[in-house]
Amino acid sequence: MANNFSDLLLGGDAGAHLVQQIFAPDVTLARIRCDACKGETGIGALTLYAAPMGAVLKCCDCDNVLMRVADTPHGLWLEMSGALNVRF
Amino acid sequence: MTAIDASAPPERLEWQLAQVRDIVAETYRVKSFMLEPVNWTGHLPGQHVDIRLTAEDGYQAQRSYSIASPSEDKLLTVTVERVTDGEVSPYLLDELRIGDRLELRGPIARHFVWTSGSSGSLCLVAGGTGITPLMAMLRHRDRSSCHTPTVLIYSARSRADIVYREELEGMARHDTNLAVIYALTREQAKDWAGHRGRIDRPLLAANCFPPAQNPAIYVCGPTDFVESVAGVLVELGYDPLSIKTERFGPSGGLSHGK
Amino acid sequence: MDEAHISRGFRSKRQTQAAKDRLPPGQYVTTDFPILSAGPTPQIDVSRWKLALQLGGSLLGTWTWEAFETLPQTTIRTDIHCVTKWSKLDTTWQGVTFDDLLKVVGLSEPPEPYVMAHCDGGYTTNVPLADLIGGKAMVATRYEGLPIAPAHGGPARLLVPHLYFWKSAKWLRRIRFMPTDERGFWESLGYHIHGDPWKEQRYDGD
Repeated sequence: MANNFSDLLLGGDAGAHLVQQIFAPDVTLARIRCDACKGETGIGALTLYAAPMGAVLKCCDCDNVLMRVADTPHGLWLEMSGALNVRF
Repeated sequence: MTAIDASAPPERLEWQLAQVRDIVAETYRVKSFMLEPVNWTGHLPGQHVDIRLTAEDGYQAQRSYSIASPSEDKLLTVTVERVTDGEVSPYLLDELRIGDRLELRGPIARHFVWTSGSSGSLCLVAGGTGITPLMAMLRHRDRSSCHTPTVLIYSARSRADIVYREELEGMARHDTNLAVIYALTREQAKDWAGHRGRIDRPLLAANCFPPAQNPAIYVCGPTDFVESVAGVLVELGYDPLSIKTERFGPSGGLSHGK
Repeated sequence: MDEAHISRGFRSKRQTQAAKDRLPPGQYVTTDFPILSAGPTPQIDVSRWKLALQLGGSLLGTWTWEAFETLPQTTIRTDIHCVTKWSKLDTTWQGVTFDDLLKVVGLSEPPEPYVMAHCDGGYTTNVPLADLIGGKAMVATRYEGLPIAPAHGGPARLLVPHLYFWKSAKWLRRIRFMPTDERGFWESLGYHIHGDPWKEQRYDGD
């Protein structure tokens, strides 16, 4: 289901919370740069997919996967190889 | 009794579809379902409906449920209690959703009916979900601004098991002619000031209108409960013909769960 | 009313008990069909659809939709199990078995022991050939007799029902043979590399 990340986090969405809990600062204020198209957007504006298996954030412009998070009994996983960088 | 012509032959009722419009959790094991049948011709308080479920392989299960709503309501309400290992109640309580449709037919049975046109006082005795048809009577009485002196004696396991509790207390608060008395068989709370244990002879004697008044009496609940209460009432001097009963459970007609 | 209305989701008690015997550990039965997607639903035009079987740098076979529909069709009735704990029993699928795909491209044996399924939207998942052959898997194009809806992976998805359903990749485009097992989308994010529900292989480390 597609929804704006900021709205979801404010609404208490579990997938959005999964992403935020990894970062100390407010992740909705961070800016993320896509490694594929080099475009930069605010994380708050990204669309969130895939809960309950995990959280997937995709680039608004080119659909590249920017960040993925999954919470498993053996650990919390973060993968961000689709992002060039994140600026808080 | 009023406008019912007891000599008219019962009509052959057809199955019809009813859509679930609302679901209300009454207690932790009881839910009410508000239904909109396709072609409802009305009912009298105390009557019931048959509900039929059909699985994809053709398997069918059918149960009877008292109608809890008064005739004045637009939607038909049935109230169902969970029976462990039951076949139908788990389906209704866990699977059924608003928007689903159920097959039902009714209204059925004319012997256990009360309407506000009746004269005289009224004693209602409920055991567990036996409250359901009596609630239809009380709601009808309330909607028709009827002031017939009425007492409800309602036996439940505990306070948490009292179905429609807030509504009953609201009715009693606004109507000095209505008394609601609970008998809790398993309540542990120390602040319960009401009757503990089953409905017994002293409780009935103290709360029912005296036999000399010849009240109309309706007793509803599990078979054992009904037999026991009816027996005590007869001992207390009530005319057996004035005692109407509806039995739920394996040896009775209606299911109210299971 | 001539025929009784079927009550959605109703089963006889006997059937409900039988259902419990068919559930892998930790699963519960659902009668609806939840949708979990790692991205938006691609709206795929079948006139532009292609499926490819890839080995190294070459394509062993490619099919347009029309060509794919002429391949031998098989219908199966099976249970499916999602790692998020729901199971759906007695689902019917139609498509081309993996065995038939291999036959059609002239292979009597799989050329490598693993495949990676590549899909529209970028999703990937890895499956050992042992879990695809012998009638265990197909490329499915029909669900309950009707074309698979886009939200459920249509027009074509991989179907490997004896593994957790994230392995039944939606919007399938390419099946790539691999000499060694590589982790796909969820497998590289903490999920089990194999995903056998009967061994409760949900997560990496189980």
